[in-house]
Amino acid sequence: MTEFAIPRFRSAICIVIAAALCAAAPLRAQSASPTPPSSSPLFREVTDEAGRTVRIPQPVRRIVSLAPSLTETVYALGLQDRLVGDTDYCDYPPDAKTKTKVGGAINPSLEQIAALRPDLVLMTKSLNRLETVYSLDNLGISSYATDPHTVDEIISSSKKLADVLGAPEAGNLLAADIQHRLADLYHRIAALPPKRVLFAVWTEPLISVGKDTFIADAMRRAGAVSIVDSSQDWPQVNLEEVAHLQPDYLVFASSHSESVAPQLDALARLPGWRIIDAVRDRRYAVISDAVNRPAPRIVEAIEDLAKQLHPEAFAEKPEAGKEKPGKEIPQAQHQSFLHLPLDIHSSSPDAATRGGCVCAR
Amino acid sequence: MSSSSALARNFGEPARSSSDARLSVEQVSYAYSANPSQAPLFTLEATSFQAKPGEIVAILGPNASGKSTLLKLISGALAPLSGRILLNGFVIHSLTPRTRAQRIAVVQQESRLLFPAQAWEFVLQGRHAHSRTLRFESEDDVIIAKNALAQVGAADLSDRWMDQISGGEKQRVILARALAQQPLLLLLDEPTLHLDIAAQVDLLHSLRRLAAENRYTVVVVTHELNLAAEYADQVVLMQRGRCLRVGSPATIYQRELLEQVFQTPLTVALGSSGRPHVTVLSGT
Amino acid sequence: MRPLTFRRLFFQCFILALILFIVVVVAMKFGAVPVSLYALGRDVLRFLLGQTSQISTDYGLILWNIRLPRILLAIIVGGSLSVAGTSFQALLRNPLADPYVLGVSSGASVGAILALIATPYLALPPAVSALLTPMGAFLGAAATIAAVYFLGRREGQIDSTTLLLGGVITASFLNAIIMFLLSTVTSGNTRGMAFWLMGDLSTSYQKSVFWFLGIGFFVATGAIYTTATDLNLLLAGEKEAMHLGVDVPRVRLVVYIAASFLTGLAVSVSGSIAYVGLIVPHIMRLIFGSDHRTLLPTAALGGAIALVFADTLARTVVAPTELAVGAVTAVVGAPLFIYLLRRGAS
Repeated sequence: MTEFAIPRFRSAICIVIAAALCAAAPLRAQSASPTPPSSSPLFREVTDEAGRTVRIPQPVRRIVSLAPSLTETVYALGLQDRLVGDTDYCDYPPDAKTKTKVGGAINPSLEQIAALRPDLVLMTKSLNRLETVYSLDNLGISSYATDPHTVDEIISSSKKLADVLGAPEAGNLLAADIQHRLADLYHRIAALPPKRVLFAVWTEPLISVGKDTFIADAMRRAGAVSIVDSSQDWPQVNLEEVAHLQPDYLVFASSHSESVAPQLDALARLPGWRIIDAVRDRRYAVISDAVNRPAPRIVEAIEDLAKQLHPEAFAEKPEAGKEKPGKEIPQAQHQSFLHLPLDIHSSSPDAATRGGCVCAR
Repeated sequence: MSSSSALARNFGEPARSSSDARLSVEQVSYAYSANPSQAPLFTLEATSFQAKPGEIVAILGPNASGKSTLLKLISGALAPLSGRILLNGFVIHSLTPRTRAQRIAVVQQESRLLFPAQAWEFVLQGRHAHSRTLRFESEDDVIIAKNALAQVGAADLSDRWMDQISGGEKQRVILARALAQQPLLLLLDEPTLHLDIAAQVDLLHSLRRLAAENRYTVVVVTHELNLAAEYADQVVLMQRGRCLRVGSPATIYQRELLEQVFQTPLTVALGSSGRPHVTVLSGT
Repeated sequence: MRPLTFRRLFFQCFILALILFIVVVVAMKFGAVPVSLYALGRDVLRFLLGQTSQISTDYGLILWNIRLPRILLAIIVGGSLSVAGTSFQALLRNPLADPYVLGVSSGASVGAILALIATPYLALPPAVSALLTPMGAFLGAAATIAAVYFLGRREGQIDSTTLLLGGVITASFLNAIIMFLLSTVTSGNTRGMAFWLMGDLSTSYQKSVFWFLGIGFFVATGAIYTTATDLNLLLAGEKEAMHLGVDVPRVRLVVYIAASFLTGLAVSVSGSIAYVGLIVPHIMRLIFGSDHRTLLPTAALGGAIALVFADTLARTVVAPTELAVGAVTAVVGAPLFIYLLRRGAS
């Protein structure tokens, strides 16, 4: 007499019931979940820079930023009191480090974000993941994405952001300030021939920036033209090509200026690099890593670069004061051109895409 | 040719095999080619014989004579090019693998297990053909497996691990698994290849006993002349894909025939058991 | 002689289900936002009594809408990968086989990358575009399954060796395509691709995805389970299995399609989480033996336990930053496997 298979189905049924219970929990919870307390009945529909139509609760009182550049922008607009959370890499201005951290830009903790009960989560299309956007949508948390590719777009993006956050006047002020400084810069250097430069994001392997990035655009504003003509964002560049094109200067972005010189010395000893005149003659410029973030502070890096590349245009001190409302100016940004101890320091939030990316945007 | 007389002896009627024959191989042929468009690499010409319950048939011949191919055809692993093989009147190849396994058991030379198993587990596998999907082995299955082990004298090996027993012991357990299938037909391909003399005799002795007790029909492929002579009731003599003769050992074991088939000088004498005994002559 | 009985199987599965339950409770408790067990228990009670409105709103959203679905995802993905791994090890007669060896995950990754690249160009409603990546991944997996099937045939049937060869070659070919796409495509969406490739359970999915996963899992696992005894015999050798009554071509086809389907399911929603599909079957085999009637359900439960545990570690160890689940499974699983292997060998 063979044992029948019906008992086996019993265990299958038990597992099915257990699974159904587990599945039913989130389903029922979703249908019965209470709305987050900080939301109000008013919503505003905007289209963000990724082309999505988003519904933003009004007013926006609690913001979580998932990109360091957006954190900086929020501070620049004077809205930092509304910022309740940011990423581990949001380090400027220093006060941003005191905000509640929600994790990395690519891998933030959804739970932590939800625990902060934000009205709006700010993201950038280039730094954050699409999955994060979809997950926040699924949880009913509004998100807004920016995607600037040029300096002008950085300005307009900040203005739009200010408007979305309900502070359009701050946006206008900020935009005007930056435009003014850029215009001033333009008058100084427009007549001068641009210098040909290689912006080295990473040296081994050699990675530069593409022509469509905001970094390339920022350099153009500073009177520098990147010799790399690639439509990729982070192209890997052939040393031979660089030796053939012979840039006038190398440009590095670094937060710690002290050790660039010794590292450049080390590079100069390598055969592939030695043949590049700019390396052999130690012709380089170091600017702050503000250039890596599409935020208002990039204008300082632009000015800095312009001064290093075209010192003759800055014979007299610039007239406009450095203090602007709503903006902090860190001290260590004005560096002279010659032989500063600098270091190619990489604080890379995600080295996962390339062999090391110096951008903490 | 003597084969035609053997056929004439075994075939009562042209269309149906004789009623007491369990296994009936009827003009079975086969051809194997690596490429469908090429000429066949190997051919088995039309072969016929029959076997009754309780009978041991030895398929005898040198290497590459088509013995294993014939056995594979009987087991249903291959489909004949022409002719048919019947088991109790059913065409073997048209049965499903499960039905076939309920009636035909193939005893392998050895078994390579990927993961370790105990002997009783191994023997229980033989019951698979009789149990339906998603059922666990019943008490009957367990009893049958135990009996199978006992019948081959391996009851004490029941809890031992398959990779820790000797070759001879393993062979017995493999045989037990075949017995657990409760087959009508037992097929063995060169079972004595890796066994020492004592084990060889032991095996064939068991086969004869089992065939008599349980009324199995046993078909053994071998090239061992004396073992076949001693234990087979019927011998099918093969050479290069042709069946030369079918008959009792006495009719097959003729010196000229065997020398021609095995390409070596030998003498045939009558052994003490009344069966022919072959001595291979060395040298010259 | 102790043949398998339903009672013993049920008991083994029950123990594992109990362990799973405990692990789930622990996973519910720990996270970026701490939760007290008392409050958790109280809310579960309220939930079961239908008083959902009284569930504490502070973390109600987090627990029920983020953490629990993520745990459920880990259960299904862990179970799928383990069952697939067990099946492939039997199908290919190779203890080193894992769910990805035949290229299904590579195909899914290519599909996901292509979907991510295509997303900006397709004007789709948000609910649908959120599904684009999983759907792309699943289609990639399906295409790979078909391709490898046709590559792996000999004389019209699946042959284990040919299948393995065809699958491995397809996998490396597709991996090369992935490298190529990642290094040349400029679309910003692919930036997060590397994270996805490492295996990640953090994405929050809609209800419909869970239904599809759950039903798919049970159907495919059920199909494989019907061949459990056949798989036992297949491990002894294909010729032997046939002589013992197994319809080898049919079993191979069913197992291949169902196990690949399970892999495709898992990879579509979570990327390629490594080691679960390889190690859990071995651990369960060391504990429970290699009878697939036991091995399949225990592997499913074991995989669920392992992945829920690993995911909990991934999201708590350096909270709020999240580690890739695949890294955790490797770091935790490999030493454990070595330990069990040495114990089993002695």
